[in-house]
Amino acid sequence: MKKSLLLVLVALIAVLMTASCSSSGEKKIEFMTGTGVDTPLFALYETLAKEFEAKNKNVKIELIPSSTNHEGEVKTRLASGDAPDIWMTHGWSKGRYAEYLVDLSKEKWAKDLQNGLKPVMLGKNGELYAFPIDLDIAGIIYSQTALDAAGVSIDSINTWDDFIAACEKLKAAGKTPLAVAGKDRWPTGLFIDWIAPGVMITQNSKEADLMSGKFPVAEWKQTLDVVAKFRDKGIMNKDYSSATNNDIAMGLAKGDVGFTMCMNFVAMQAFELKPDAKIGYMQVPVMSANDKPYYVIGEKNALGIWKDSKSLKEAKAFISFLAQKDNLTKLATSVGSPAGLSTVNVDLKQLTASFERSTKFAGQPYFDRVFMPNGAWDAIVATTEGVVLKQMSIDEAVAKMKSEYEKLYNQQK
Amino acid sequence: MEQRKGWLSQLFFKKEATNILYVPALILFAVFTFYPLIYGLKISFTNWNGYSQNYGYVGFLNYIELFKDKYFLNAIKNTLIFGFGCTIFQQIIGLAVAITLDHKFFGRNFSRIVIYLPVLVSPVIMGIIYYLFLHYNYGALNDIVVLLGYERIAWLSKENWALIAIVIVNTLQFCGISMIIYLAGLQNIPDMYYEAAKIDGATDFQAFKYITIPFLYPAVITSVTINLIGGLKLFDVIKVLTNGGPGYSTNSISTLIDITYFNAQNAGYASSMGVFLFAMILIVTITLHKVLKKGEVEV
Repeated sequence: MKKSLLLVLVALIAVLMTASCSSSGEKKIEFMTGTGVDTPLFALYETLAKEFEAKNKNVKIELIPSSTNHEGEVKTRLASGDAPDIWMTHGWSKGRYAEYLVDLSKEKWAKDLQNGLKPVMLGKNGELYAFPIDLDIAGIIYSQTALDAAGVSIDSINTWDDFIAACEKLKAAGKTPLAVAGKDRWPTGLFIDWIAPGVMITQNSKEADLMSGKFPVAEWKQTLDVVAKFRDKGIMNKDYSSATNNDIAMGLAKGDVGFTMCMNFVAMQAFELKPDAKIGYMQVPVMSANDKPYYVIGEKNALGIWKDSKSLKEAKAFISFLAQKDNLTKLATSVGSPAGLSTVNVDLKQLTASFERSTKFAGQPYFDRVFMPNGAWDAIVATTEGVVLKQMSIDEAVAKMKSEYEKLYNQQK
Repeated sequence: MEQRKGWLSQLFFKKEATNILYVPALILFAVFTFYPLIYGLKISFTNWNGYSQNYGYVGFLNYIELFKDKYFLNAIKNTLIFGFGCTIFQQIIGLAVAITLDHKFFGRNFSRIVIYLPVLVSPVIMGIIYYLFLHYNYGALNDIVVLLGYERIAWLSKENWALIAIVIVNTLQFCGISMIIYLAGLQNIPDMYYEAAKIDGATDFQAFKYITIPFLYPAVITSVTINLIGGLKLFDVIKVLTNGGPGYSTNSISTLIDITYFNAQNAGYASSMGVFLFAMILIVTITLHKVLKKGEVEV
């Protein structure tokens, strides 16, 4: 009995020693991709990771596909002090994750950062905390089929009043003028990201106030007034509370939905459903005819490296590999967006005309990422959907937003 | 025999030593249940954002805030609706089905399987099936509504309808558990009591009231307790069916914790909600258990 027990123990130790020996020279890179296992981007990551491993025999890359809660998973890993070596920063490399990430501004590829990304990704002293695969240029997505049916031209829409008038024409033509994925919750917050720059930045120049902890009550009210107009004019989708982005994409593909305010992945989803769908994205209207419409610009698929990574050198090498012209072209093409580095041109296929149009307008950063304290997003969503659903008055929503802003701003100081 | 004197034989062959076999379960419980509970309690007194390595202690502030927060108060109301609503309907349906399926008829076993089958399905899948069924544009229910000549209805966009939908979906999924518990209880009732009642001229209702119900009491306690705890902890179905909407109106405490912790980055406050939920389930379950135990009769 004792002999057999001893044999088992010896065998176990031998197996463990063999396992540890075989992995001792290997460097592992854990990469939280922030994208689903069924996406073209993930498939490309797999291919490129294999290519990188073949060139770097001592490196093993573990790709982690995203669930529906990438942000929550990243936060949990950070809380445990065991962050992945690389993770997708979903628009927050500077605003939220800077203290956990390595400054990549000295990397070779960093000098080619797209101009549109510089204000949103670079730190005060030029720090760059993530490698941007693509540039998020967003506007109001529209279905040309629906607009044609209602006799609406995007060239005639410069102010929110113009936009509402166009929506009323769409409504009269039996279309859903403005569809928002209320069930997904976060798209409702985009109302603020889209409307607020026109109220608080281009018209009233409240940047300094916002950055110094002064909440612009009157301007926030003005922003929510626009949202309330959408609600009161009955131009929003009747299934707002239960609609998802998939539903919106389907509506756009079929030409049933006129407009939606979201990132371009919704248009890409619509193209998957109907490749010849006539869909584009247009400029975001402003409050007055004296002002100029704009597009919303931000960080999208960007990859940061954990500052305490045990495979720092290898992770940087992998990022540099992804930044190579051929690889970045493939990556940016797979997500249908302009590349994050100026050295790469991407064929945007159905969205090419919209992208070319966007270059003639100014860009505004995602409002919440630049001007709101970290953590304010949920309050933005909650108060805006409160207004849409009439569960909150505008004054209540502004007061709630003000208190959240001040609380978070003071925490962040 | 000599070998059995070693420590290994002591461990496996000595009667008292077998107690050691539940140590792994205790360790798992301590690591995955007890430690998170204590840690959650600690976090509930902080302003932690859920991922930073730094946080400060705020005393009972989070607990005070709970009772000023209209979303949380609404979530308490919803949690009680889900807990008691689902439990009541699950008992009624489960008992009715169990009594029906206790009788011998062709297809009885198949019927039992069909009713129990949803219990084996993930609540997420169940939620998706009913979400698609109730979908505004493509749902089967609205297709019927349109066929009848009416306009489509946004079933999940009205607070009350959405709450009812959640209760119905959860009830339909888990009434199979009640059915199984009641079937087991019914099969333990000796036939002689019914035969004696029949000889004494008792009606079917009287036999049900004076024989079935008292004998089923232990089963009722078990079924109610299991369903109540499940209903009070309801999460998956809400997440998939309404995501807590319209707005915050159908959130349970569990879904609100998820939103508060991960979306609002207020882990300290979310933890205080978690502690409240733990205490609420404990109090409600113990109280109900005691009330039901009082009604138990010796038979």
